[in-house]
Formats: sequence, structure tokens, C-alpha cells
Amino acid sequence: MERRGFLKVIAAGATIVAVNPSLIRGTLYADDGRLYMAYEKVQLVDGAGTPIKASSLEKEVTYIFNYPYASTPCMIINLPEPTEQEVTLKSDTGEEYVWKNGVGKDRTIVAYSAICAHQLTHPTPKDSFIKYVPKATPTMAYSKSGIIVCSSHLSAYDAHAGAKVLGGAATQPLAAIVLTVADDDTIWAVGVLGSDKFQDYFRAFKPELKEFYNGIAQGKQLVSISAKTVKLTEYSKEIIQY
Amino acid sequence: MALSRRDAMKFTGLAAVTAAASGYAKGNESPKSAAKGVLLSPAPIPAAKGPRVVIVGAGPSGLTIAKYVKKGNPNIDVVLMDKRSVFMSGFISNLVATGILPLEFITHDFLEGARNGNYTFLQATAHEIDRTAKVVYTNEGTVKYDVLVLAPGIDYDYSKWTNGDVELENTLKTKFPGAFIAGSETLSLKSKIENFEGGVFVQTVPGGNYRCLPGPYERSCLIADYMKRNKIKGKVVILDENPNITIKADGFHSAFEKLYKDYITYMPSSTITSIDPHKQKIVTELGEEIDFTDAALYSRVRGNKLLEIAGVAKDSVFNKAEANIDPFTYQVIGDLNVFCTGDVRPMGFSKSANTANTEARVVAANIVKYMGGQELSQKTWTSPHTTCYSAVESDPLRAISVNAGYAYDETKKSFGFANASTMEKWDSADGLAAGKGLIEWGNGLYRDFFN
Repeated sequence: MERRGFLKVIAAGATIVAVNPSLIRGTLYADDGRLYMAYEKVQLVDGAGTPIKASSLEKEVTYIFNYPYASTPCMIINLPEPTEQEVTLKSDTGEEYVWKNGVGKDRTIVAYSAICAHQLTHPTPKDSFIKYVPKATPTMAYSKSGIIVCSSHLSAYDAHAGAKVLGGAATQPLAAIVLTVADDDTIWAVGVLGSDKFQDYFRAFKPELKEFYNGIAQGKQLVSISAKTVKLTEYSKEIIQY
Repeated sequence: MALSRRDAMKFTGLAAVTAAASGYAKGNESPKSAAKGVLLSPAPIPAAKGPRVVIVGAGPSGLTIAKYVKKGNPNIDVVLMDKRSVFMSGFISNLVATGILPLEFITHDFLEGARNGNYTFLQATAHEIDRTAKVVYTNEGTVKYDVLVLAPGIDYDYSKWTNGDVELENTLKTKFPGAFIAGSETLSLKSKIENFEGGVFVQTVPGGNYRCLPGPYERSCLIADYMKRNKIKGKVVILDENPNITIKADGFHSAFEKLYKDYITYMPSSTITSIDPHKQKIVTELGEEIDFTDAALYSRVRGNKLLEIAGVAKDSVFNKAEANIDPFTYQVIGDLNVFCTGDVRPMGFSKSANTANTEARVVAANIVKYMGGQELSQKTWTSPHTTCYSAVESDPLRAISVNAGYAYDETKKSFGFANASTMEKWDSADGLAAGKGLIEWGNGLYRDFFN
């Protein structure tokens, strides 16, 4: 995959752009704001740069886009049914926050950081151990499917409920990516809710940032304007799931 | 356990040596011994900047507890000590011993963990613990604690084979190490395999709750695989004290049958009655005589001797001298300030890195609660997770796996597997995926320990 053209990134050292509070009001709230971070508002586009419409996302397919940093992968999934609403979640540090609900016409579209909250396993251009497991596909990680599974240590997350931990060794939910769907059905990422693992990720995967993003600093650049969004099967050469 | 450690100290080797070196020391005169000055002075680490947790043993359990106690409450002063200067993991080591992965894969840097986890690492050997004064005595000096965590891992228990013959035990340990305590034993095993010219290689599987249940079977597969790859006329003879393969039995049996029919002989219910390390002959209870060219003789295991030093050891249902703790809080019976975790726990959990790592996350959170004034109980317990992969073939790398938690049975008063599942079809696409899973599983653990 041509990584150079993968993302338009803003210059290193650029500060985080505060999102207009009106964008997030009614979408989410964290108890004291500490578990919500607004980043540059970024439009999800396909491989050709064309804006993706919410209604065009295939059901139960894991798509990947990198956000809020050039090297931090996220999943966007169009679930088979509407999500739960107002889910109270807890981070490792004991802070509570509320994940509001899925977005889109039927409240079925969700996005989460694809860096496992347990031990940072994530999709790379080589392979991926983490994905949404469709309802019809069995998994070793949990008694029922239609969930997100990291097949490295078999942590299971509830895709319908803010990526709450269902099973396995993970002790906190995946960070949620806050999305908005505009009137024209385009999809925008605006921030990250919950406890993210970005700094741990940067520290642990320096060789990978060099290999896939042309350098550590490049991998740490914030994404701006748009984020290329492709199916996981396109993003990673190999998908491993139990 | 109300015994006074102060009294016990009078009888330690340290006190004896001090007296001998200084001749006759009377009354309160302090003897002029260099050893005393160094060993009884504080170890060269920064003074505690808050209540202090001292962790002895920087394996999967100790490393995880150090990191997560500090994360859970940065005001707690955390000291992690280990007698080793370099970390080497037992998990994945069979792949290193058989040349599939480089030594660097399992070798890691304690200092990196200390830097990233903001705790103090002290390379030191603990030789005495005074639980009344709350002091750990080490070869680097004394370390005071408010809460002590003992995570020293296993020792070997050769008694069934040697009946107390120390010379025989030492010969067996030197010539045919079990290689389930990582370090020199791992390197010995690696060179034994690399230099194997042919003949019989014996791998024993002990009874009791031994460390890494699938380990001896995985290793047998990989040694057979090595012989096959290198066209060595050899055979792995597995002498298993148990009546059947103890875990992932279908997967291993099928690998023995389909991949290594000419290379592996599996002998269950093999209780060894004598080992002659010079003639290289083993005799079993059933009268079988096995002549071997080389071997990895894995004896039974027991709790590390540090538990006896600390006066917290008790024989468990499975092994000798394991930790005398509340199975839900991990606190020593009668001394709530001392926790014992990892492979010294007496509960029948799998003695494995993933179990110790997930258990340690729970114990770390509970230590933070306890130091904040909360009482621990069955209600603050959650189950560890046993997730592990075992390689059965190297090229391509194929593996089988297990995933399980534990539940407490109130009527039996013991723990059993809960929500257990296995993937044992090494010859399917899943088996290939599990080969990749094994590598990522290991890397995930190292990330958790050191990043």
C-alpha cells in the first residue's frame, strides 16, 4: 500500500484544534471533560478521496481510518441494529464517562480506536488481530458474536455499547472516536472519548512508525482535513481472528 | 503466623558470620565487621517519597504489579527487585531453544520497565525478610517496606528422584536442566539441541501443578521438528508422570501422530524410579529402561525458597512450600501487609505468564485499594485469564491455543476452569493464524511488562 499518499497530515507540532462545542453537545459527555479530547475535524473519504456517505457503509464490515494521528488506526463499523444509548463506562483510572450512542440514520454507526486497550495490538499493513466479528461468525473470545475481538489475548468488546469490556484480559473499553454525520450524509471524526493508548503506542512501536510512516515524527503528526477509510481487508494483508 | 522475625534473625547465617568475624562481641558493642556495615545499611536507592511497596521477583507477576501499582497511585513508592540483571522469559523460550526465534526476542531490559513505569529497580538478592520490622535484607543492603509482594516464582523439587541426594540433584541440574526457569538453563537447552547428533532425547513431564502445562509437549514437537528439518536420526521420548497429556491433548496427540510419528514416543503414566546421570539411563516404576543421549529432565516444582525465608510457606494440594495466602486477596494469612503472587500461589491456576500477568493487574489494583484504607475480600477478586499458544511446527509456524478463566466452587472450596475453550486444529487455517498469534501474544506481554 502506498503510505505516502495515505493521509494528508498537518505539520508536526501543530496544536490540537478545539472543536466547536456545539458539535459535541448532545453527542457525548465525560463527567469532568478529562476523558474527552477534541481534535481536528476530519472527513472520512475513500481510497479515491471521495467523501464516504454513512448510508454506503456495508453492514458488519470493519473499515479502518487513521485518527487522530497519522499512525493511530481506528475502526468504523455499521452495526446490524441500533446501539445502546447513554452507556456509562469506566476507565482504568476509575473515571466514569458516558458514551452517548451510535450515529447515522438508524444510530448504527460506531467508531473506536483499533489499539487494543489490553496490550496495544492493532491493525498494521501486515496483519490485524483486532476486528468486529459479525453475528454469524463464532469466536473463542465470547459466547456470542456481533462484538469486537482482539485475537491476540482474546479480549472482547461490546461494539453496541461504547466498546465496554465483555470478556478477556482487557480492563477498560477501547477509546471511542466521536463521529458526526452531516446533513449530506458525510461522516466526520471530531474527537476521542475515553482513555486512549496513543502515548503508550508511540513508545512501544517506534520501529513500526519508521517502517510504515517514514519516521517516528511523521507517525505522530495529527491528521487534518480528511482520513482515508478502507476495509480492513484492504488495510491489512492478513486478518487473524478466532 | 505470629512468630517474631526478630528472634529468627538471631539464627541467620548473617548473625553467625558477624560473630565469627569479630571474635567475641559482648553486650551492646557493635562488632566491627565490614559485612555488617554494608549489609545492614540501607540499599542505595532513593528514600521513599510515600508509602512503599517492595516487590521481590521481576518476572511476569512482579513486573506487572510494579507498573500498575504506580499507575494506580503515583504517590506510592514502588521498588522492584530481582537477582538477575537481564530479563529472559520462559514463555516463547522453546522457540528460541530450537532456533526458530533469536535470543533477543525473549531477552529484555529491566531498566526500560523502570524508566517507563516510574518505579525503582534494584538488582539485588533478598536473603532475609523481617516481617515485624518490615525490612528486606539484600546483598545490596536493607529495604524497608509498608507492603511487601513476594513473586519469586518456582524452585525445582527433585526429592522424588533424588531422595535428598544433593550430589545427584546437582549433577542432574547441571547435565540435564529442566529449562523451565529461564536463563542459563535455556541457553543449555539451546546448545544441547544445536549440538544433537542423533539418538534419544528424553523430555520428562512432572506431576503436580507444574509451570507451563503445555511446555514439555510443545518442546518435544519443536525438537522433533528440528530433527526433521536437519535430517538428524533421533527420537524424543516423553516420559510423562501424568496419565495423559495435561492440556490441549487432542492437538498434541494429533501432532505427534501426523507430524512426528517417527520422531516422538509418548509414554504416559511414567513414574521415574531411578536416573543414572553418568550411564544416562532412566528406570520407570513399570520396569522400563530408557537409555538416553541427552535430556531435559523437568522435575516437580515447589514454591521458591524465599517463602520459607519469609516464613510464609505451606504445602499446597499440588506442590510443596507454596504461599500461605488468602486465595482471593493474595494476602499472607495473619500478615495483611504481605502479598504472594504469580507461580507461588497455592491455587490450582495454570502457572504461566499470561495467568500471572492478568492476576497481577487485579492484585495491583487491590494493593492500591488496601493502601488507601480499604479491606480486601472475595468481593474484590476477579479471575485471572489463562490464554496461551503452543507451537507444534516451525515452517510454517503452526500453533494450538487455550483460553480460560476460573470460578470458585463454594461447595468444593476450590477453583475450576470457567468459560474455557481451545483451538487444537493446528493443521487448519486457524492453526496457521495461531502461529502468528503466538508471536503477537508474546509481544503483547513484553509490551505490558516494559513499555
